Amino acid sequence: MIDLQSGEQLSVTLEGFRPSSYLTSETARIQQVIGSGKAIAAVSGGVDSTVAALVAKRAIGDKLLPVFIDTGFLRVREPETVRDRIGQSSLGLRIKLVRAGRRFLEATKGETSAEEKRKKFRETFYQVLGGEARKEGCDFVVQGTIAPDWIETQGGIKTQHNILEQIGIDSVSTYGFKVVEPLSELYKDQVRILGRHLEVPKDLSERQPFPGPGLLVRCIGAVSKKKLDLLKSSTEIVEEKLGPFNYEQYFAGVVENKFVEDPFYQTLEETTAGALGLPSSETHVDVFKDRVTGVKGDTRSYGRLVGVKIKEDSRETYGWLPEKLRLAQSSIVEKFADVTRVAVLIKEKRSGPPLSVIVRAVSTRDFMTAAVAQVPWKILKDVAESILKAGDASRVYYDITPKPPATIEFE
Amino acid sequence: MKGQYNHLIARRLQELGVDSHLMPPSTPLEKFEAIGADALVMGGGPQSVRSLSELTDELRDASNLMTKIKLPMLCICVTHQLMATTFGGSTQLARKPEFGPVEVSVSDEDTILAGLKPSFTAWESHNDEIVVAPPGFRVLASSDNCTVQAMRHEKMDMFGVQFHPEVYHTPKGADVFKNFLKVVDEYKRE
Repeated sequence: MIDLQSGEQLSVTLEGFRPSSYLTSETARIQQVIGSGKAIAAVSGGVDSTVAALVAKRAIGDKLLPVFIDTGFLRVREPETVRDRIGQSSLGLRIKLVRAGRRFLEATKGETSAEEKRKKFRETFYQVLGGEARKEGCDFVVQGTIAPDWIETQGGIKTQHNILEQIGIDSVSTYGFKVVEPLSELYKDQVRILGRHLEVPKDLSERQPFPGPGLLVRCIGAVSKKKLDLLKSSTEIVEEKLGPFNYEQYFAGVVENKFVEDPFYQTLEETTAGALGLPSSETHVDVFKDRVTGVKGDTRSYGRLVGVKIKEDSRETYGWLPEKLRLAQSSIVEKFADVTRVAVLIKEKRSGPPLSVIVRAVSTRDFMTAAVAQVPWKILKDVAESILKAGDASRVYYDITPKPPATIEFE
Repeated sequence: MKGQYNHLIARRLQELGVDSHLMPPSTPLEKFEAIGADALVMGGGPQSVRSLSELTDELRDASNLMTKIKLPMLCICVTHQLMATTFGGSTQLARKPEFGPVEVSVSDEDTILAGLKPSFTAWESHNDEIVVAPPGFRVLASSDNCTVQAMRHEKMDMFGVQFHPEVYHTPKGADVFKNFLKVVDEYKRE
């Protein structure tokens, strides 16, 4: 809805977002809310929670206690790296590290549904935070919730772990603290602008997003130590090899090689081969049993992941033809309402444990929509070879689905 | 509306220097006058609008609002479909739904699509589509899967687009809003 105040405004292109005025009004608001109380800041090392903590620190100074929870679903050496990086830099956020990995693993074990995993994670997360708040005598928790978090949770696309009040959970009676969200109306790109304004070092302000539930939502289906270990080693490889390309987000997921045998999918191979312009004998298609999250027509779609394999010779000569693959992906998703995601096989090894790694890289601005990154085929092959060599996987795929119909993360 | 991108519509308009406010479709007409609104943009949502008798309360309100309000109006995605259902056209389950990038071919550069010929890439996310544009409306653009990507009323400032001009991945989306704002400017001058 628009309310145009004056015609002149139209002739000037204004930057919609001004960090300094945002900061002024937001620190005043926080001072009013927290008053003379104390607050915990839940920090993860990501740009959202770091900027949120810095805004709150401006407002209440030393009455802010930054806490980092090690959920066990973090990347290799992540807790220590974040503590040192944020603690030592000019930011001056001295972090208390809380180890809770075992509690999180216990809480999510055996659960295959993506939404249940997320909800159990959220519950454990706030119980741990509530415990810390009590210990420290804090009535408030500052967190880095941003606009897409509550938009997607309210819209039923997926439960973000940091959303309580927007879906009617009263944090005071449930967990014993009031939530303060300095960034809840902003998008990622605006948070980064604010971060630069607050002189957050570039490696932090421009860091790629990492979901709150961490590797839990990249372990497609049930969590296991084996999957988690493979995911950690694969994540390290993907981050190292794709880092130089500056895609907005790039990561790995792990899924078990269990497939659906349903006559419903009989024409899937035909559709795929047709779109790729190859004879059916040159392609093979698998439908994975574990479901993945997508968004089709503004609705959550918890659907199938389709793995497309092009015969090795053709794959080599065929290489990486984004247009053909895009057509195959959209033809499959249009025709099969249950499919939300398509990945193409990069490399496989005959003998190997029945696990697949799915590599994903996207370009996006505000994370509401995303395009598949055109990673050079040579690089993808290099990534796949390293993963197969290092970890316990037998296949490596590349996700070729934009958002929509897929979401950026797998679950 | 419950659409994922509606917050983005407000943001895009703010970036163009417009004071924009998100309001529910149940907002009474007097409220629009009270705040001095000059235009109405309605966004998308997850619901289906194939039949007027089976609308959710929110979309019934939206349907009523579009018949009553006299301001220039731009409807996106589900409310674009709702315009067809409301004004005597038809919305059905798409034979082929569209998700992600789609090439939109412009047949008529009228007003909101000015400067966008011959085609542009837009992002879509819809299971339903307009199969018959309502009487008095003219189709401006189409895609391989969907015949009514954009339409306008022959005489009134009523516009509808199936694609999402508000998302970053529709690079020409800002042009659609700018074109629409020119209409709003004209309207204010009169």
